[in-house]
Amino acid sequence: MKKDFLSAKEMLPYSSPTRAMYVGAPGKVGALRLGFELDNDGKCIMRDHERVAPLIVQRELYCDRTMPEMPVVYILSSGGPNVDGDRYSQSIEMRKGSFAHITTGAATKIAEMKDNFSALYQSIRLDDDCYLEYMPEVTIPCRHSRYITYTDIECHSSATLFYSEIFACGRKYYGDGEIFKYDIISVCCNACRNDGKRLFREKFVIRPGDDDVRNIGIMGIYDIFANVIVMTPHDCAEEIYAKVDPVMTDTFAVGITRLPNNAGLLYKVLGKETEPVKKNVRAFCSIVRETVKGKPLSDDFPWR
Amino acid sequence: MNVDNNIIILMRLLEMSDSQFPVGNFSFSNGLETASYSGMVNDAMTLKQYVVAASLQSAYCDGIASLFAYRSALSDNYDGVLEADEQIIMCKMNDESRQMLMRMGKKLSELYIRMTECGMMNRFLGDIFSGRTSGTYPVAQAIAMCHAGISEKEMFVSQQYGVINMILGAALRCVKVSHYDTQKILFEISGLVAEEYENARKLDFEDMQSFVPCIDIMASLHEKGNMRMFMN
Repeated sequence: MKKDFLSAKEMLPYSSPTRAMYVGAPGKVGALRLGFELDNDGKCIMRDHERVAPLIVQRELYCDRTMPEMPVVYILSSGGPNVDGDRYSQSIEMRKGSFAHITTGAATKIAEMKDNFSALYQSIRLDDDCYLEYMPEVTIPCRHSRYITYTDIECHSSATLFYSEIFACGRKYYGDGEIFKYDIISVCCNACRNDGKRLFREKFVIRPGDDDVRNIGIMGIYDIFANVIVMTPHDCAEEIYAKVDPVMTDTFAVGITRLPNNAGLLYKVLGKETEPVKKNVRAFCSIVRETVKGKPLSDDFPWR
Repeated sequence: MNVDNNIIILMRLLEMSDSQFPVGNFSFSNGLETASYSGMVNDAMTLKQYVVAASLQSAYCDGIASLFAYRSALSDNYDGVLEADEQIIMCKMNDESRQMLMRMGKKLSELYIRMTECGMMNRFLGDIFSGRTSGTYPVAQAIAMCHAGISEKEMFVSQQYGVINMILGAALRCVKVSHYDTQKILFEISGLVAEEYENARKLDFEDMQSFVPCIDIMASLHEKGNMRMFMN
């Protein structure tokens, strides 16, 4: 799985080679491949996985209280924060009828950078009747960090994918506050059906140094941003859409819309702090799970 | 008698950029109605910010695809025009905005073939009716303006003017601002549009992007709300 991130024009200003370990050095190219399927007894398992440090997964756990039959996988990074020149890739394959919940063990910190950038390529494939909740912890971009992610999604029309990302403004309470001090975040998500039919491509680039992120149409008074893609069959999408009320308050704001080409829904949350944003994302996930699987999301662990 | 073609082209540019051009521009507010109701936009300063955000969103999404559609139309590459139309739909995340672009695109197509003979627009309209393509406004503009001899730069400016003027026109009906305020904003924002064109003309489909979460949430509130001074 290779992606030429320098083809993204917004990263060209950050193409200088790293002065420490070179791009591609061992320890800087973490990779994961996870495959889920139903075994002969109908139990959903993580059938195979490959891992290249610093990305790590351990065996699947069955710790979800409302769906104890669902494998839960924590993605960990043994290398600490992402640094200059890191190139990670993750591939998730959901084979026919499988279901899983994937998250990260902690927030993803993008460290301060002097050269180059950190990148993540993801490939997510769902076959028919699959269900995947992909809900990593918050991404925290530190001062002068540069981070790009590109995600290819292939989703069967009968499958459901809940895919969330939460971006903090930085280390808000570090020192005098690192609020929108990073150089760039570029996020692209490209989705199609299994037969290749194109559905949507969402890309956003945030450059706090160049753009006025405090513009009332952009982040306004808020510091934390969550973007949630839900790909699901049309009738489920309509049911979920009807259950969500957009709202705008002084502490958080929530909105929902339908994705292009009947692909599902797009849900956005803004907040002044991480907690209400996470809470809204989890509440939305609960609506999705209830609609598709008939069970709500269990409460998050108190230490999360 | 010698006829100055530049004058004809300029007249056509003005005609198609006019807020009275009957494609429904005045019926939409680009989410401003909700932004005003919520108090987010409440004076000239906040209105200007809102307009800037909407202009950036339009330039780096619709604008890029429209420039591709224009260049395709210029080289008689109809498949390229359809590709630009599909790209706009794929990259336009907000449902209400997609509906707006499709309604206005169809209206412009229907109007243009009544104004003049244009084979490509005829074909485009036929494909809208058959469901082969969505028929977005920026692509219909590219076909019409290319046919009318208007340059791609002028087309881009006309599109941005349309977006900005749509919001400013709506603002006079739902925000406490005066004509002086709105015209001052329009005047001041010209430099931004020039900068946007310089950037957008070098970009391609993969670069189409949008980051206006507050506007997106406003649009969602409008989509599910019951305020209807403007269409959704």
